[in-house]
Amino acid sequence: MAQTIEDFTSTIHLQDLWEDPYPIYRQLRHHRPVAWVPAANRYLVTRYRDVVHLERHPEIFSAAEQDSLMIRVMGRTMLRKDGAAHLRERKAAEPALRPRAVREYWTPIFRKIADELIDGFYERGEADLFTDFAGPMAARSLAVVLGLHDVAPQDLQTWSQAMMDGTGNYGDDPAVWQRSDAAAGAVDEAVDAAIASLRSAPDESVISAMLRADDPLTPEEIRSNIKLFIGGGLNEPRDVTAVASYALLTHPEQRTLVTADPARFKDVFEESARWIAPIGMYPRQTTAEVELGGTLLPAGARLGVMLGSANRDETAFADPDAFDINRRDRAHVAFGGGPHFCLGSWTARAQVGQVSLPTLFRRLRGLRLSDSEPVRLGGWVFRGVLNLPVRWEP
Amino acid sequence: MPKVVYVHPDGSQDRLDVPEGTSVMQAAVAQGIVGIVAECGGSAMCATCHVYVDPPDAESLPAVGADEDEMLDCTACPREPGSRLSCRIVLTADLDGLTVRLPEKQR
Repeated sequence: MAQTIEDFTSTIHLQDLWEDPYPIYRQLRHHRPVAWVPAANRYLVTRYRDVVHLERHPEIFSAAEQDSLMIRVMGRTMLRKDGAAHLRERKAAEPALRPRAVREYWTPIFRKIADELIDGFYERGEADLFTDFAGPMAARSLAVVLGLHDVAPQDLQTWSQAMMDGTGNYGDDPAVWQRSDAAAGAVDEAVDAAIASLRSAPDESVISAMLRADDPLTPEEIRSNIKLFIGGGLNEPRDVTAVASYALLTHPEQRTLVTADPARFKDVFEESARWIAPIGMYPRQTTAEVELGGTLLPAGARLGVMLGSANRDETAFADPDAFDINRRDRAHVAFGGGPHFCLGSWTARAQVGQVSLPTLFRRLRGLRLSDSEPVRLGGWVFRGVLNLPVRWEP
Repeated sequence: MPKVVYVHPDGSQDRLDVPEGTSVMQAAVAQGIVGIVAECGGSAMCATCHVYVDPPDAESLPAVGADEDEMLDCTACPREPGSRLSCRIVLTADLDGLTVRLPEKQR
């Protein structure tokens, strides 16, 4: 049996994970929940209980990964620090992202952006909700929240993708480095311009909060962390918006429930983040030899923390592959946990669950999938729908 | 060591000995008490360690802080006068016997 499992883990190809990781995750959870997977060059941690355990022990399972590609691309962001050094930078950004700021400042702006985007394509009666709505909605919202008021949303999307490709450039492709370095340089310029204007005219944005904190961040710290927020604050709300829309369009009985009671879009958001976690994997590295899920890990072991698998763990969620807004087991780990718990969680809940989804399903009467092309899904480190062609009655 | 009583929605109870200086949330998580999720690990940022504290225990607790007050508006179950974040209740000898009721859900 052991040999069979070794054979299985060594035959896992990244392309298979990209296309549909969930059957592979199920095998790993059942037979080798903390498994060395050569193709990923990491131990993959696939069970819910082990993911929750390691999130609660950051002193052993460190975020400060050595030779991290994220650091190569973005500099040393708060997501690759632990303890007091991490907390100092996080606390500086936090006032802009707490629920009260989200409610008072950002939600009204999100509503305006959503309506403007829909106004732009409404009369056509058809659109690709991924490219025409979810992407630009996330980009425009992020620019405002960060304080990058002069940045074009399309540039933000380009930079985000280029930097995320860099953080995943394990193949050391020089063309990928060239694009991610160019994006990082462009972000530096945009952040420097924003710092200059926000020093004289402070607002509620993240950059302004970092400047005004009790222990203000340096321009270099702000530049690195804004790169992190551009990488982590754009694709995730975009992907949950598209996945949730897709889920409702393919589960008509649940769509009926939420259109009758729009407060339940909150449940749609949470269940969509569980069902297809937008961040499917994040890295950790052990600081000491430790046993996890029956596997003895050496000190310095690189881990892939598989949120996409933990959220489908049958010991934590009944019928885990089903999209079900009525499920009782709701403690998904899509936002991570512990000190690095997603700083943008309340912004995302408001943007997607309170604004984007209710607005789309209210304004676009008769919204349905178009038969022009099939909806495609892809990814495992980051996963989501890749297109969402729809029609409605203008 | 101060004792804390966790009352589940079905009326069943867990009793824990909690060292002074430890929060009601930390003790619950360390012992795997179902019903305290505590996603953010104690940063007052997730609202998933919500508990209800009834009089007279409620009066012996420190006042609700600004961050806690903000998060209590974001709990999955309704906020009540006795609502608290258990990450913000740190045990002292005075709180021996504290009873907290757990909500039906944290998200």
